Amino acid sequence: MDFAFSDEENELRASIQTFIREHLTDEIRRDLQETVVGQGYSEASLKFLGMIRDNGWSAVSWPTRYGGQGRSRIAQFIVEEEFHRAAGLGVGGGGTGAPAILASGSQAQKDAFIPGSIRMEIIFCQGYSEPHCGTDLAGIRCRASRVGDKFVINGQKIYTTNAQNSTHIFLMVRTDPQSRRHSGLSVLLVPMNLAGITVRPLWTIQHEPRAPSVTTYAEPRTNEVFFDNVEVPVDALLGEENDGWRVAQRGLNLDRVGARRYLISTMRDEDIVNYLKSGDELVEQKRNDPRVRDKVAELWAEAQVCRLMTMRSLSIEENGGNFVYEGSAEKVFAPEHGVRATEAISQILGPQAQLLNGSPEAPNEGVFAHNLLGAFQSTVNHGSVQVMRDQVARKGLGMPRQKS
Amino acid sequence: MNVLLDAQEQEVLRAVALFLENECPPTVARISEDGYSGISHALWRKFADLGWLTLCLPEDVGGQALPLTYIGLLLEEVGKVIAPLPVHSTMATALVIEKHGSAAQRAMLRRVGTGDLILAYAVTEASGVWEPGAIAMTGRCEGDAIVLSGAKHFVDGFTVAGMALVAFRLVDDTRGTDELRAIMVDTKTPGLSVTPLRPMARDGQFTVAFDQVRVPAANVIGAGPRAVHDLMNYAAVFMTSQMQGAARHAMMLAVDHVNQREAFDQPIGAFQAIQHMAADMMNGVDGSQLLAREAIWRLSRGLPADAEVSQAKSFANEHCLMVCRSAQQMFGGMGFITICDINLWFRRVASWSLRCGTTYEHRKRLAAILLDQGGPVRLDQAPSALATEDA
Repeated sequence: MDFAFSDEENELRASIQTFIREHLTDEIRRDLQETVVGQGYSEASLKFLGMIRDNGWSAVSWPTRYGGQGRSRIAQFIVEEEFHRAAGLGVGGGGTGAPAILASGSQAQKDAFIPGSIRMEIIFCQGYSEPHCGTDLAGIRCRASRVGDKFVINGQKIYTTNAQNSTHIFLMVRTDPQSRRHSGLSVLLVPMNLAGITVRPLWTIQHEPRAPSVTTYAEPRTNEVFFDNVEVPVDALLGEENDGWRVAQRGLNLDRVGARRYLISTMRDEDIVNYLKSGDELVEQKRNDPRVRDKVAELWAEAQVCRLMTMRSLSIEENGGNFVYEGSAEKVFAPEHGVRATEAISQILGPQAQLLNGSPEAPNEGVFAHNLLGAFQSTVNHGSVQVMRDQVARKGLGMPRQKS
Repeated sequence: MNVLLDAQEQEVLRAVALFLENECPPTVARISEDGYSGISHALWRKFADLGWLTLCLPEDVGGQALPLTYIGLLLEEVGKVIAPLPVHSTMATALVIEKHGSAAQRAMLRRVGTGDLILAYAVTEASGVWEPGAIAMTGRCEGDAIVLSGAKHFVDGFTVAGMALVAFRLVDDTRGTDELRAIMVDTKTPGLSVTPLRPMARDGQFTVAFDQVRVPAANVIGAGPRAVHDLMNYAAVFMTSQMQGAARHAMMLAVDHVNQREAFDQPIGAFQAIQHMAADMMNGVDGSQLLAREAIWRLSRGLPADAEVSQAKSFANEHCLMVCRSAQQMFGGMGFITICDINLWFRRVASWSLRCGTTYEHRKRLAAILLDQGGPVRLDQAPSALATEDA
């Protein structure tokens, strides 16, 4: 066992930190935060993102033949961690789209999508959840019918975050109308500018006022996406027809876990320690309160478990292994820790912790109130913690399914 | 960065596990509970003969010079089968001697490796508090001897040990100092009076009163407060490994049970209410394991590890007990009948969670590291360790 990053990995981290110190201005940070509403990036932000791309940090672990850096998943994690910490920015090469295309795509698809993804000109949103099925994706109804050399798509997706800024949707559809459950699903790579696609915003509880940067689940907006006789050529199919479930699994790239999940669950623990040490007169007495000190230490130990579970997931990936239950386990412990931490911190701080961004007397731009609005979303999104517990019990401990 | 076990670590772990599974069924633990002995001498002999005690001892005393992480793995397995073997007290003490002892003191480690010398440590006193500041036993220099006065409480395995490492204050009236020291004491030294306790674990724990006990001054371990500090860290973190191993096995026993026990027309392990409890148990033991392994890894590299040790012990105290209590719940009424084995694990983990520092004591130390030292914290940058001086 080895709990340290290598010298090379530490150098990578230091170089990113230097880059961020030198180039990430408050203006860009604000603009990146606002862009999620759908107004596009400012000149300054585009220049900043261009420098990230030129440094190769948008595709750290992707193969060099497609323009990636060919580095390890650990290196990718380090890039993701530093940009998330600095600006809540998802950079590194995880997420939806390209990792799955690298895993299952044809040569033509790799050539068509990977270089553009590295240049951040191609951005995917994820088309999985539907109004009647979220965690249980086997219930997907959105249909794609084969008509000649085309698929015709009809149906609806929901919680399609960032659809307003995406060029493509990674769309899970039912291609075999007779199929049940996971069989008969397929993945299509669908441009968002096609006729028949309608994006409607769903405004979250972080919408007004807007959460400050690096809040837990700061997104003010997600979307519904409607498909009305949308036509795509058959080569939009990723992997085999009716094999979409496995295609999606192969491209997870830590999906539910990894840097972002770890950080949104644990940065609150750093926040409270650093705030208590800040010298702010509001918290100076609390810092010496034995009840506060005990709770802070309890949360810190839990946060370290979150970090170590993330390191475990990385180690498994790096060794070429597959998760048995570990990803699901982490997706239970970290989000629930995030909730416990956020709620306890609110009680430590008192009534100031309910004040939203822009309110008089709100400490730290209202981040504590906005975290309280966001923390529990992590126990819902990307697979509820209840279903994740089922996975831990069944896959990790071999417990049986309930008779229906 | 690879928090998983490497090939050699897996191999050692498997070999220890295989041996203990064959040699230490629950009956062995049960027999050791009669008279609160805490040891099976026959098992200890076999265990030592296979060389398990030499894993982390230096080569010049017949050891294999592996990193401390192997002691952690060893204790996970000892805990798993709740083996009545004084590995914890012996190795925590031996490692302090190895690190800080004189050549003569280190020479005794050869007999530790062969199993001929069992070691104990004595830190806690009547208050039960696990803090250097709570150590009040005095030692005064008289010629070439130290004269010890006071009492040590909650001493594991004192009567089976040949030597005990005792924390005390070296009183120098002329200089007005009372610095912490650790000294090796022969457990048969005249002037000691030993009272057996009856802990819930039904292993051997004792109160040892020192009435003007003369011990050769040459038995004092160098490095003073540092030796006591290291002893307390080793004892706390290795206790965490042992607790975690035990709790993990209790979980597996309970899961096996609920997968077979039927009610309402199906195995009760098929109910989500049970499965979700099991998932939380899994995270409790995995969390304890990851925290303890990281802390021990840091100690093995000579890095400051006070925060990490206290994280591990405070987390494991609560979560390993939750795991064992949940295992009891899964066994239902039979769980607290003495003929059912599961309560053997519950009773030990409950006892062990109260040794080498409670949840609140360790959180207090952790909070001091986080909140009383300058500079912002970040989870992946270990906060520097507290100074070794008394709290």
